[in-house]
Amino acid sequence: MAGADSPSAALRRRDLCARGIRLAGKMRSDVVDLLDAYVERQGLDASASVAAVEGVPPAAVEHWDEQTGTQRLLENLAAYRAFRALLAQMLEEQREQLGEADAALGRALAAVLLQVSAFAYHLEELLRLESRGPPSEEEDGPPPQPRGLFEQKLRGLGVLRELAQWAVRSARDLRQLAKPGPGAGSAPSPAESP
Amino acid sequence: QNLKCVTHNLHKMICTWDVSPRKRYGQTDFCYTTNDLPTPVCFKTKEKRVEIPVLHSSSTVTITTNSISGTALATKEFKIHKKDVLFIPVTPRILSLTPDFSTSKLNLKWSDNGSVFPDGLDAIWQIQILRKERMEKVTQVTYHSKLTHEDIILSWNWTSDMPLECTSHYVKIRCYINVTQFVGLKEWSDWSPVEVIPGKDTDPSESGVFPLDTVVAVGSDVTFCCVHEEGQNVTNMSYGSKPYPMIQLSSRSHAIRVLNASASDASGTNVVCRLNNGMMEGTVLFVGYAPDIPQNISCETPNFQIIKCTWKPGRPSGLYGKRKTKYSLFERTSGKNVSCEVNEMNRERVCGFPVLPDQKTYDFILGVSNPVGQAESSLLVDITQRVHPKTPEKLTVSENNSTSIHLHWFINGSFAEIRLLCQIEISSGHSGQKVHNISMPGGKSSAYTAHLNALHPYTKYQFRVRCSAADYFWRWSDWSRVKEYTTSEA
Repeated sequence: MAGADSPSAALRRRDLCARGIRLAGKMRSDVVDLLDAYVERQGLDASASVAAVEGVPPAAVEHWDEQTGTQRLLENLAAYRAFRALLAQMLEEQREQLGEADAALGRALAAVLLQVSAFAYHLEELLRLESRGPPSEEEDGPPPQPRGLFEQKLRGLGVLRELAQWAVRSARDLRQLAKPGPGAGSAPSPAESP
Repeated sequence: QNLKCVTHNLHKMICTWDVSPRKRYGQTDFCYTTNDLPTPVCFKTKEKRVEIPVLHSSSTVTITTNSISGTALATKEFKIHKKDVLFIPVTPRILSLTPDFSTSKLNLKWSDNGSVFPDGLDAIWQIQILRKERMEKVTQVTYHSKLTHEDIILSWNWTSDMPLECTSHYVKIRCYINVTQFVGLKEWSDWSPVEVIPGKDTDPSESGVFPLDTVVAVGSDVTFCCVHEEGQNVTNMSYGSKPYPMIQLSSRSHAIRVLNASASDASGTNVVCRLNNGMMEGTVLFVGYAPDIPQNISCETPNFQIIKCTWKPGRPSGLYGKRKTKYSLFERTSGKNVSCEVNEMNRERVCGFPVLPDQKTYDFILGVSNPVGQAESSLLVDITQRVHPKTPEKLTVSENNSTSIHLHWFINGSFAEIRLLCQIEISSGHSGQKVHNISMPGGKSSAYTAHLNALHPYTKYQFRVRCSAADYFWRWSDWSRVKEYTTSEA
């Protein structure tokens, strides 16, 4: 976060961070519920190991505590934009494959997609506070098509698992950002175990 | 020694013989004669075989082997009887072997070489299917045909009990021609060269579980295979949550066989292949029912603009999304076809078909299909006899005097082609409830009026109305909303 904040900007940022942390918490619990339903409805093995899903940014990051506030926001925004596209595709696939047969799963998926979109918007708000504004959205094109339905199911599992991880990381990133002090979060702050 | 004559086409025969290998020979003189020939037919040959016409009576063959310089070394005479001649058809040639991976079907095409033979002979073909790396015989099928003195391309289909991707499938064919008038020995032809449809386990870049995302009927037996990279091992294969015993097809392909598959969940049953490197490959099987024949199909029109057909779907298919049962309404007279948007989850099935200009009678076929099967039901209907008007709306009253009023209402739709019969229910505390029937020409626009008299002055009435077709009653509309009105004082 460039330069020291004016008191109102700092107040605005802390407010946005606080609301973001609550949104991330709600999102996480909804994603966990969705994950359980998804595993059960798709007939998957909850313990199945899923290879890294192409197009899904990993939540785990090295040197987490050395990241600047801007880096945190930019990485978060990139992730949630990616999740927005992936969840939209999952919703489309769910409608195509199941139609009306599993409306509940469809609704739960749509609800999480809404939260992810809201959270992305929230991150853009935070970036606007930095007067650099959020980066324009790159049209990456649709995520790669899995070869078959089983691979599609596994990818969905991978997406939801990673999203649940991201919700945890985002809450921690926002807490880091919310800490008072000039350039909070931009300079490396005292190491804190992730 | 060992003079042997073989014919492949009943016209010419190839005679071959042996000579003792100890000496070196020059040309051979070959002569043959029969009762029909005035003089022997002779010629020289360097080979130990000659091609001569098939002899239709017993004959004498004389073979003289000469030295390099041409002097006769040895002469031998043979008696050849017609029954000694061996008939072996020409080895058949496979023209094409075409796979259809989506149905696991092989299509074999070959020529019957009929032009070589007289018309009407019975040909018997043996077709052998082999599989796996070790080319194990899977089945041998006998196919019969009639030769027609022309070269006919014969075609034959075979459906494998496992996906063609799983491992290579090989086909070969041979034939036997039943020539009753040929007295000689008759044998099967040689097998044709093998034709192969390579499995995915022969392509280094391929892996996966097959069949990929397919749909089968409840009760089907299905073979799944896991094709993996060289050097990988399959630790187990499961169908749903249940592991199955594996059958090795090749070094890169293992299979399981699921018998009598039961209906799957909406998202299908997962078939998972776990590899020793921890990775998983898989596919999804959808197991459902073919659609039942639609029952109690019924069509009516609410407004002479649309025809609504309803039916009872029967047993749910268990298939959803893009595999769900699809419905279409085809009208034979006009040739018009409409696909119906149906929500699989609710029990009521309805489909709309536009009323066509100048057409009263409709010859409907309701077609129902899903990936497992299809069915249809038909109905011939005259829509003027199937009128079910919508609920009358906007009931209003205009008063003539304290004992006589006009009741006005609207019915959406054009009923100009029929007469309407309407019932007006008149309720009042004073005289209880009465029903007044009134018939009127159907209108192009939807406004209707009825005149009621003999009412009581200064009395509160409730009116409601419903209508139906007058001439061919089918169904009443619903009752309109109640309209309250108090007549004026006398």
